[in-house]
Amino acid sequence: MSPARTPCVALRSLAAIIGGWAFSWGFVACGTAALAGLGVEFHDAEISLLMLGLLVFLGVFLWSFAARSVSRVFAVLVGGALFFNGAAVLLQRAILS
Amino acid sequence: MFASFRLSMAWLHTWFGLVLGYVLMACFFFGALSVFDREIDRWALPETRFAPQPMPSFDAVLAPAFARLEADPAEYAANISAMHDAAKGPQTPRLELPADEYWAYTTHRDPVLAIGAGFRVPLPKDEEDHNHIHGNATIDPRTGDFVRSDQLRIGSQWFYPMHYSLNWNWKNLGIFTVGLAALVMLAALVTGVIMHRKFFREFFTFRPDRHSQRSLLDLHNLSGVVALPFHFFFAFTGLLIFAGTYYFPVSQFQLKPLHDRHEVIEARETGLPHERAGIPATLASVDAMMAEARRRWAARDMAGEVGFLQLHHFGDANGYVSIYRAGSDRVALVGEGMHFKASTGELLHEDPPRTAVAETNEFLTGLHLQHFEHWLLRWLYVLGGLLGCVCIATGFLFFVGKRKQQHARAGDPGSRWVDALAVTAVTGMVIAAVGMLVANRLLPADLAGKGDWEKLAFWGLWVLALLHALVRSAPVAQARINPAWREQCWMLASLAVAAVMLNAITTGDHLIKTVFTDPYWPVAGVDLILLATAAVAVWAARKLARRERIGVTMKSPQPAAEVAHV
Repeated sequence: MSPARTPCVALRSLAAIIGGWAFSWGFVACGTAALAGLGVEFHDAEISLLMLGLLVFLGVFLWSFAARSVSRVFAVLVGGALFFNGAAVLLQRAILS
Repeated sequence: MFASFRLSMAWLHTWFGLVLGYVLMACFFFGALSVFDREIDRWALPETRFAPQPMPSFDAVLAPAFARLEADPAEYAANISAMHDAAKGPQTPRLELPADEYWAYTTHRDPVLAIGAGFRVPLPKDEEDHNHIHGNATIDPRTGDFVRSDQLRIGSQWFYPMHYSLNWNWKNLGIFTVGLAALVMLAALVTGVIMHRKFFREFFTFRPDRHSQRSLLDLHNLSGVVALPFHFFFAFTGLLIFAGTYYFPVSQFQLKPLHDRHEVIEARETGLPHERAGIPATLASVDAMMAEARRRWAARDMAGEVGFLQLHHFGDANGYVSIYRAGSDRVALVGEGMHFKASTGELLHEDPPRTAVAETNEFLTGLHLQHFEHWLLRWLYVLGGLLGCVCIATGFLFFVGKRKQQHARAGDPGSRWVDALAVTAVTGMVIAAVGMLVANRLLPADLAGKGDWEKLAFWGLWVLALLHALVRSAPVAQARINPAWREQCWMLASLAVAAVMLNAITTGDHLIKTVFTDPYWPVAGVDLILLATAAVAVWAARKLARRERIGVTMKSPQPAAEVAHV
């Protein structure tokens, strides 16, 4: 594992696990709220997004190691997590108002 | 950081696979045992060795049993002061708490019946809250007598939760660790396919007599590829089962307002009362309601037995009885719930046909939880789980085999540690499980806290296996085989044979009786599997002994250079 420098690998692992989790969580929340807003029954929306969200988690987990730049990984995962989670709250507010 | 995409995927496969592989071994092995958790329960609790029973009559058996349930003293002590508002009046003593709900649950493999009650706390701090203190018991459904509930059901209460929580309940850390391991399993399957270009050839490639390192890799690839859909499916559905509660609980977090609004709409649509009315009422015949539910299931062309029964708002005018179908004849876990008004027995609500999404979910989770009665398929699950163990264990061995020459030259203890942990995760784990069964037969049945002693035997043996593997690991530093593998195989074989003999001596249910003269397959099956385990362990020990002798006289072969593992 000589080409893999330890701090870099640790950062990518952190991004993959914690960043990937936050990103997928946001994806599930945002997607559930969006589908519910479109009139899909809440639990149907939730279960569909849970299934998709697990696959998204797997995808971003792998991508965290495959991507060229660690900073891009962090930017996408943290930015995406903030965007999706924020959008979920805003969507919910719009639906409930 | 990585020279190529393929190398980054290989790094991920190797290192995450190694670290979480130890957890995955436990998930796959105890998951495989969970397929027969009820049968292991029968083996460990001889007084429950009789045929599975259907849901008994409510009026004759369940009602008197429910009436004898008490709130759990520990739960009462822990929760009463948090739930009860002292400003409103005195606290209700434990035995005087009024019952609010009752339930009973059985499967097609359960001789004994699990029942429970939720007791209401009067004068609560928060009226809106679910102020329940519970009391559970196990009864013999033929008589209604309580079965001792202080004994550990080793299959369903220890091996089964082991596979999804490692029995590590503090802050649910076990469930989260297993979740991460399941994600890594999915990632390892994808990266494994990416690393190995000749995917289809691996279905048919196993070269047992070539270099041991080559045949290890063949076996790793074969067990991974042949059961690839199985491994992917179980890791994925395992995550899905817990996703809504633990991994992505969005409906209990930022989407709670949306979720709560949906609950209110749903409750209005079903017409089932959410709260007590405060007006006392009597209970109509629940047997008649169960008969009506069975009649309606038959009319839907899915005749079946009652699997789960629940009484809500007991003794109140708003009380209702929910009756769900046992899911033993199909994959999807479908309850087809029927809800009756408790005081009159009239049908209040029938669960509507499911949506396509819900059907997909019930099929996926049902296929993981395997409540169905299809013994061939159940055995295939065991086989798949064990293939998963083979895949992970050969991964460890390949990792060690690839590095031990180099580590031996460099004086690096890395492969020595990995190998000792692999011994612990393979033979050590099986020793812990079988040793627990031996302890179950050796400890007296009326020993206080017997279950805790059994758990201690389980963990104690596992820790001893680790210590033994570490103490004996010196040969690995010279690129030879750790003798702990062989010694633990002998230990395992002795324990497995001892368990079978102890079962025959302490219960009289020897194999001649349980197979031929008075067949009882749950116990016979566990005994036969123990004997098979012993046979495999002896075979492995003898094979290892031969390898160790060759290893001393011959230089080990160079590792296979076919695949770029980093």
